[in-house]
Amino acid sequence: MCASFTSEFFLDNKPVVSLPHGNTRSAGHLIAQRSKTNFNLAIRGMLLPYLLGTLLLVILPGLLTFALAFTEYDALSPPIWRGFGNFHDVLVSPLFWIALRNSLYFAVLAIPLRLLGALAFALLLKQRRRGVGLYRAAIYLPTVIPDVAYALIWLWIFNPLYGPLNMLLSAVGLPAPAWLVNPQTAKLAIVIMSLFQIGEGFVVLLAGLHDIPDEYYAAAAIDGGNRWQMFRFITLPLLAPWLLLLTIRDLTLSAQNTFTPAYLMTDGGPYFSTLFMPLLIFDEAFERFRIGMGSAILLLFFLGLGLLVVLVYFVAGGWGYADDY
Amino acid sequence: MTIKARRQSVSGGTILHHAASLAGAALFLLPFVWVISASLRQPGLPPPRTIEWVPQPIVWTNYLHIFQLVPLGQYIVNSLIVVALAVPITLVTASWAGFAMAQLHHSLQRRLVALAIVVLMLPVTALWLTRYVLFNYLLLIDTIWALIAPAFMGSSPFFVLLFYWTFRRVPQELYASARLDGAGVLRVWSAIALPLARPTVIAVAVLTFVLYWSDFIYPLLYLKSERNYTLPVGVQLLQQMDRTNWPLLMAASVVMLTPVVGMFLAAQRLFWPEGRLAGIDGR
Repeated sequence: MCASFTSEFFLDNKPVVSLPHGNTRSAGHLIAQRSKTNFNLAIRGMLLPYLLGTLLLVILPGLLTFALAFTEYDALSPPIWRGFGNFHDVLVSPLFWIALRNSLYFAVLAIPLRLLGALAFALLLKQRRRGVGLYRAAIYLPTVIPDVAYALIWLWIFNPLYGPLNMLLSAVGLPAPAWLVNPQTAKLAIVIMSLFQIGEGFVVLLAGLHDIPDEYYAAAAIDGGNRWQMFRFITLPLLAPWLLLLTIRDLTLSAQNTFTPAYLMTDGGPYFSTLFMPLLIFDEAFERFRIGMGSAILLLFFLGLGLLVVLVYFVAGGWGYADDY
Repeated sequence: MTIKARRQSVSGGTILHHAASLAGAALFLLPFVWVISASLRQPGLPPPRTIEWVPQPIVWTNYLHIFQLVPLGQYIVNSLIVVALAVPITLVTASWAGFAMAQLHHSLQRRLVALAIVVLMLPVTALWLTRYVLFNYLLLIDTIWALIAPAFMGSSPFFVLLFYWTFRRVPQELYASARLDGAGVLRVWSAIALPLARPTVIAVAVLTFVLYWSDFIYPLLYLKSERNYTLPVGVQLLQQMDRTNWPLLMAASVVMLTPVVGMFLAAQRLFWPEGRLAGIDGR
């Protein structure tokens, strides 16, 4: 992804004052060197809040999750060691498997569709022409809606009686399902609403397209390449690292993005059809105060997620466009 | 003949392109049209028989009622306090970290970028429980500091990376000459680096505002008493009071989304590749 960021310039950390062998140090040199050392120390100091914060708010809690997964803990009394008891309980619980299946369903359906949507609009709106700014803003706009407002808006849109979506569908003679009320369509509804928040991928792919030099296409045009060939052999390969990055990012995001819709719109129902992993974890830890169990589910879930990310990475690695980080 | 020239010569293609763009834009604006229209509907009306773009009659008082039903004004003030603290803190810590990263040895830079990306890939779900345990221990539960805490680490490693990428483009000689004049680190940062990074500062400020204004999960998890609620949890309270009063819920949604939409529209130029968050060379 970052070829353009790494190939650039400078980075001095070489000493300003290099002392020729055998030379006696002058006072000026010493002062310069000391101020250089002070400066470097101060520079490191500026990193401190970020690094300490990351340690305290990300790394420490992450490690603590590992530990708590082996205990029984309610945040009031001290944790009790349970060994692998939590993991056993989780693996025999039917709800865990339902939530896992629902989360997989969401990931498998929503991620490719979101990526395709972002790519299609990025290709459509990459050229600078009249009105393109307005079109781009329109595509991005649903992405900035706060989660709670977004969930409420779609709860209204999907409402089988009042909702404008079913009015629209029946107006053009299409079947109007009960969406969130029906276990068959509830998950699909959550996927559909996620397809309107693709602004992040859209912006990233626009930038990726912008970085492809025009000369590549010009050369291809001279060689008689048609539009499809240009897309297949220039655009797609050069975008591949971005697409990979977005897939992995979407995969991890799907571990949190399903929470608010499931919590506010369906509460996991009907018949657990929208019980996604984050909601299950929330219920265990914050509704039933079984933080140990919640941690165990979390750990298993992330193990699976990590495996999936590695899988995606290696499958995509077959494209052969690996870049530095 | 380049592609651009060829495309421009075909006006049929241009019309098709506009039609496709317009259709896409209309589709993505549909939720906005519907939420505004629904927020002006009279509460308690039976479902309309056909699709209703403009409600009959238009009821503006829905926007007043939501403030009477729940202390929405208080929640908005709480949200504004959180944002007013989180945005400046984030700007300082994220730009410090990005500035420092750009000055470090190359190998160290790479390691810090890798760390940032790993942290970025970690779903926040992983931290809900143990941050609760941590905040509980630090007595921060039910205070707004539990919501603001991430600002002290720059809110998101992504913001740190944005600043890092911007500051890397600043020629080192600029810093060096200031240093020779005896300027300290903070002076170089505030007098030279930050003014050059104005587009990045604005973009990170907007993104941070959106992040904290929209945050639902952390207030849900870490706040207990209603007087501390921020707007998103406050609106959820409204939903729990009457799940079927759609006009009022939609009016509350409009109140919640207006500031972020307005802010995005004002700053959108910064997000497109032509006006890239590029720092000084404006690439």
